[in-house]
Amino acid sequence: MTEDQRPVVIQELESVVIRFAGDSGDGMQLTGTQFTNTAAIIGNDISTLPDYPAEIRAPAGTLAGVSGFQVHLSESDISTPGDAPDVLIAMNPAALKASLPDMQPGASIIINTDAFNKANLAKAGYENNPLHDGTLSNFRIYEVPVTTLNRNAVADVAGLSPKEINRSQNFFALGLVYWVYDRPLQSTIEWVNKRFKNKPEAIEANVRALRAGYYFGDTTEAFQVRYRIKPARLRAGHYRKISGNEAMALGLVTAAQKAGKPLFFGAYPITPASDILHALAPLRHFEVLTFQAEDEIAAMGATLGAAFGGVFAATGTSGPGVALKSEAMNLALMLELPMVIVNVQRGGPSTGLPTKVEQSDLLQVMFGRNGESPLPVLAPATPGECFDMAVEAFRLAMRAMAPVIILSDGFLANSSEPWPIPDPDAIPPIPVEHPTQSNGGDRFQPYRRDPVTLGRPWAIPGTPGLEHRVGGLEKSPDFGNVSYAAQDHQRMVNDRAAKVARLADIIPDQTVFGPEEGELLVVGWGGTYGAIHAAVAHAQNQGYAVAHAHIRYLNPFPRNLGYILQRYKRILVPELNMGQLSLLLRGRFVRDVISLNKVEGRPFKISEINKTITELMAGA
Amino acid sequence: MTIDTLPRLTRKDFVSDQTVRWCPGCGDYAILAQVQKVMPDLGVPKENIVFISGIGCSSRFPYYMNTYGVHSIHGRAPTLATGLKLANPELSVWVVTGDGDGLSIGGNHLVHTCRRNVDLNIILFNNRIYGLTKGQYSPTSPAGLRTKSSPMGAIEQALNPISVALAAEATFIARTVDVIQDHMGDVIQAAAAHKGVSFVEVFQNCVIFYDGAWEPFSDRGIRDDNNIYLEAGKPMVFGKNNDKGLIRTTAGFEVVTLGEQYSLADLAVHDVTSDTNAWMLSRLTYPMPMGVIYQVQRPTYNDLLWGQVAAAKTKAGASDLRALYNASDTWTVSDDGQPAQSGIKGEVPQEIDEAYFAEVMERVHANGDLIDLLSEMTIEDLDPQGPITVETSARMDNALSVMRQKDIGCLLVTSADRHLTGILTEHDLLTRVAGRVENLHEVTVAQFMTPRPTALPLDAPLVEALHLMSTQGFRHLPIVDAHNLPVGVISVRDVVRFLITAI
Ligand code: SF4
Repeated sequence: MTEDQRPVVIQELESVVIRFAGDSGDGMQLTGTQFTNTAAIIGNDISTLPDYPAEIRAPAGTLAGVSGFQVHLSESDISTPGDAPDVLIAMNPAALKASLPDMQPGASIIINTDAFNKANLAKAGYENNPLHDGTLSNFRIYEVPVTTLNRNAVADVAGLSPKEINRSQNFFALGLVYWVYDRPLQSTIEWVNKRFKNKPEAIEANVRALRAGYYFGDTTEAFQVRYRIKPARLRAGHYRKISGNEAMALGLVTAAQKAGKPLFFGAYPITPASDILHALAPLRHFEVLTFQAEDEIAAMGATLGAAFGGVFAATGTSGPGVALKSEAMNLALMLELPMVIVNVQRGGPSTGLPTKVEQSDLLQVMFGRNGESPLPVLAPATPGECFDMAVEAFRLAMRAMAPVIILSDGFLANSSEPWPIPDPDAIPPIPVEHPTQSNGGDRFQPYRRDPVTLGRPWAIPGTPGLEHRVGGLEKSPDFGNVSYAAQDHQRMVNDRAAKVARLADIIPDQTVFGPEEGELLVVGWGGTYGAIHAAVAHAQNQGYAVAHAHIRYLNPFPRNLGYILQRYKRILVPELNMGQLSLLLRGRFVRDVISLNKVEGRPFKISEINKTITELMAGA
Repeated sequence: MTIDTLPRLTRKDFVSDQTVRWCPGCGDYAILAQVQKVMPDLGVPKENIVFISGIGCSSRFPYYMNTYGVHSIHGRAPTLATGLKLANPELSVWVVTGDGDGLSIGGNHLVHTCRRNVDLNIILFNNRIYGLTKGQYSPTSPAGLRTKSSPMGAIEQALNPISVALAAEATFIARTVDVIQDHMGDVIQAAAAHKGVSFVEVFQNCVIFYDGAWEPFSDRGIRDDNNIYLEAGKPMVFGKNNDKGLIRTTAGFEVVTLGEQYSLADLAVHDVTSDTNAWMLSRLTYPMPMGVIYQVQRPTYNDLLWGQVAAAKTKAGASDLRALYNASDTWTVSDDGQPAQSGIKGEVPQEIDEAYFAEVMERVHANGDLIDLLSEMTIEDLDPQGPITVETSARMDNALSVMRQKDIGCLLVTSADRHLTGILTEHDLLTRVAGRVENLHEVTVAQFMTPRPTALPLDAPLVEALHLMSTQGFRHLPIVDAHNLPVGVISVRDVVRFLITAI
């Protein structure tokens, strides 16, 4: 390098956690997503956590309006968005205040000083300016007048209003962070060009802002160190970045294609599930029939109707939607038709915390319907697994002729990770059989069950000679005529439960990470996988005999789960609810468990789980 | 199967083996009989007909039809029917509902199904009461009706189903009466023939909980003086003796008696496509409009949806999961332990002849004057070639083709803002790419370049370049300006060529 360049040290880091935080109008989700995309393309392992307010426009400048996007980059396999950010980009005082409790001492904070005026400080509830009162003495602070610098950079772009000028300031911040982390601007510039195709002034402004931020990093004396995170040592393969909702959509369409069927997807907009609908809507060429219904109930009803018609049918919603759908889900159970119901869980009860993560719908989907109503329940552990579980759900639905529920959550749905792109030809086909001949002579018997699976034949309208009626009233076995006879009801209730239980014959055995027996088994399910896995791995490195079992099949449980639970002295169950899996395990296996519960609208931190493990082990 | 080859079906083919369980004398029997009678004339194979109902007395209907059927849940029949019709547009799908099922608990679905114009036939049995739950007032009960749940009289305004359907943008709206069998048959046929949503209100008598609710319109003795049987394009005449009619005034329809003052020519003509006409008819209670009140053509939801599927298939071609999975930025991670197939077989440039370079350098060292000369010269004197650069995000296949086309041994790599960040040399290709990376179009230069290469400014002494080349084994040196922007590159070849001439 030439001598007259100022000496900038480039430090190699193994991983870094960066949080972009600003007002919900500041474009922080976009900024974080762009940063993540670039990191993924460079080959870092990534895990992200978007955190945004439920209101589209919460009052500007307030704590309620803070929108954050946290990304964890690493050269090694990572599974969570990181406990504590190493770097915070705070676009205003509220963003700073909301994030400070999560920050490690010594972390770096890049602050947009222009936003630290009296009015904004007041809105954030700061009496004194934290830049001057010692609040930040434990941190490395970079004061950058982002708004002013950006205005200077963009001011002479023709045709921009002052508001539009300021709107590009997130790109200035992004450019600066790109410089600090030695990232190329190219993919973001390409994105800007695509996104604002018909708005040359917006392209000009955003690209200029981005470059200006980058050059600022290059020229200012403030930044002495740049960082580089080496590409991840991922397993060899071909990758893309994927979120849980994207993976779910791809999985659903894959299942349908593998069965040679159209995919019907009936849904009503609801956070955080709507992105599944958005991802499927453009796939008409795959015979994807997305149907935006008038309400959650209609979405479920239409899904049922489509399943009766013989296509692969699915719906996606969140807890409040499942509440509304419950009656129709129960009808689906009575009609014994295959379909998939995705519940992307969010904080409850009621409207609750629409944009925050929680795992509190497990008991709802298990038991939240009238009557004896057992349905299969699956739970992906990672964003990428949403793909596998969507395919698996249809496989199980076909076998049991029953609706299958997938429990995703707001974290899995919006979080991204590198995804080894599967070979579609390697995914086994899903065989589907529609009978064309009567199974009972003169009169077709729609409820005559397969002796092994206990599933009933999927005879569809349009098939001559198999005309039959189904309904929500209890019916007689085989013929399915309406029947209130005592023995008929008992038999049908038994059969409907047994066919779900028999799915255990084909689901994989539960696996365990760590010793096969010992002091402590940590049992989790769903989106807490990453945090639990990392915490257990850490505890193992500390020398503790701790294992981790992550349950993907919640109903029925894997056959060997009871055996596994007996092999450990104690069972710890961390959940983002008040102990729902704990209740199921206690009830099902008559085994006491220790619950670690949290409902703060945020994922577990690795350290929270690790702390509990070490306390338990120390007391052991 | 075409219509011509269909076996001729009769009413009996549509009668199921289930015992009908309505109260004796219930209007539902007449409706069932008429529907079963009309079905063979629709020209639809029996297996393509599906009846879907909700909950209520009327909703038992599908059990009695020997077709496909679903007895669903309260109010939701239109949603199942919609999903079914979209899944298989070949089917003739019928919704059977009631005033409680369709207008109370299922009001929302009825409205939205109408406006979407799904090609369904909806028959609403209006008996103005809850029958199955034993006699509570319904959304069509007249104000003041005393029932078990309204002992002092209902204090609610009733809904008008025809007005609701019209406001909900239904494309076919008709009314008939359970006991006027031929009329009902014609209306049901017309509904079946209509492409789009068909909404039919049937005045149905509940003998148990609201007997006689529709008496003025159903009683043989008086009904023809109270009903007007509408015919599209015909003057609106009514009465047992066809002696009355409707004229259009600014306030709406007015009943007149035909004779001295008015003749047939003065009467309003039933314009079935006019929504003003339909609205005024929907508000009319004397005479009570019967028959097709409104009918227009609009593309159906099912046609539009499958039309989008067809258009998307034409545009995007066959569905290809692999392309779908890869429709995003992708990258490849190679496995150092395993030789993968090379995507660039035989394309990596050859090694440079080391021995030759060493020999030249020996001769240079042997020549003291030359060393002095070289010390005074700068790189600029070498007149280095302009740099050929690519950005870090460039795809490897593109980078290689540039190297091939220009026949060069290295590319300088810059960040998007043109600063030098790396160098991609033959050596990198040999050690990091050849035999390891399959999908060159899916990986970027950033992953394979040598980052932060040693670079020299234009005014650096030429000996420094020589020194670096001979001690570090560099075959290429990037030349940058004061801002770390690349201005050229010098290769071992350039230097050797220069030295040979100098020697
Ligand atoms: S209660 Fe009324 S509507 Fe119901 S079956 Fe009896 S008569 Fe018919």
